[in-house]
Amino acid sequence: METSNYTVLFTNLIIWAGIFLFLFRLDKKIKDLEKMK
Amino acid sequence: MTSMVRKALQFGLFLLLAGVIWFSFSTPAPQQQIGQASRIFYYHIPMAWLTVVAYAVSLIFSIKFLRTKRELDDYRALWAAEIGTMFCVLATISGSLFAKVTWGVYWNWSEPRMLSIFLLLLIYGAYLALRAAIPNPERRGILGAVYSIFAFPTVPFFIFVMPRIMPSLHPTNSVVNQNLKFTMGLEVRLIFFVSLFCFTVIFFWIYFLGVKLHRLKLEHAES
Repeated sequence: METSNYTVLFTNLIIWAGIFLFLFRLDKKIKDLEKMK
Repeated sequence: MTSMVRKALQFGLFLLLAGVIWFSFSTPAPQQQIGQASRIFYYHIPMAWLTVVAYAVSLIFSIKFLRTKRELDDYRALWAAEIGTMFCVLATISGSLFAKVTWGVYWNWSEPRMLSIFLLLLIYGAYLALRAAIPNPERRGILGAVYSIFAFPTVPFFIFVMPRIMPSLHPTNSVVNQNLKFTMGLEVRLIFFVSLFCFTVIFFWIYFLGVKLHRLKLEHAES
C-alpha cells in the first residue's frame, strides 16, 4: 500500500467517525425527546 | 427495539463502514489500468444508487400525501428529495474528480453521464425552489407532490437509460455486464456490496431521524 493511501484512509476514517458520532448523539437526543413526551 | 440492541446495531454499522474504508484502500485497486483513483468506485456508485433510492422514497410519499393530505407525508417526500439531492451532489463531485484523473478534465458537456446528472440536479433543484416559493402549506404540498410524481420517471431514464443509448466514455459494466454477470472479482465485489449496504443504512438512518424530528416539531406545535 502506498504511503498516500494511509493519509486518505485515516482521513476517511476520521470523517466517518465524526459523521457517526453526530448521528449517534442526534439519535439519542431524539429518543430522549420522545421519552419526555 | 431495546436501547442496547439499537446501540449494538449502530456500532455494528460503524465497524462495517470502517472496515469498508480500511479494505477499500489497503487492497489492490479495482481497476489496474486506472490505478489508485479507481478506488472511488466504492463510494461513487453508492452515492448514485442512493440518489435513485431517495427520489423513489420521495415519489412514494408524494403519492401518499395526495391521498392522505397529512403534513408529515409531505415532509417525508421533501426530506427524501433533500437527502437525494445531497447524494446527487456527492455523486457529481466524486464523478468529476474521477473524470479529472481518467479523462483529464473535471467536466465535459458532451459526456451523457455528466449531462444527465446535471439535468437531474436541475430537475430536483427546481422541485426545492418550487416548494420554497409557495407560502401556503397545503398548496405547496399538492404542487410539490404532483411535480415529484412527474419528475421521478426522469431519474431511471437519466441514470440507467440515457448513458447506455448514447456514445459515452463512462464505464457501463462496472458492476454487471450485458448478460447481468458480475464483472469484478470476489474481493472487490464484497467490499463494494458491503459499502452499498452501509450507505443505504446510513441513508435510512438520516431519513428516519429527520422524520422523527419533524413529527416531534408538529406535536409540539399542536400542544
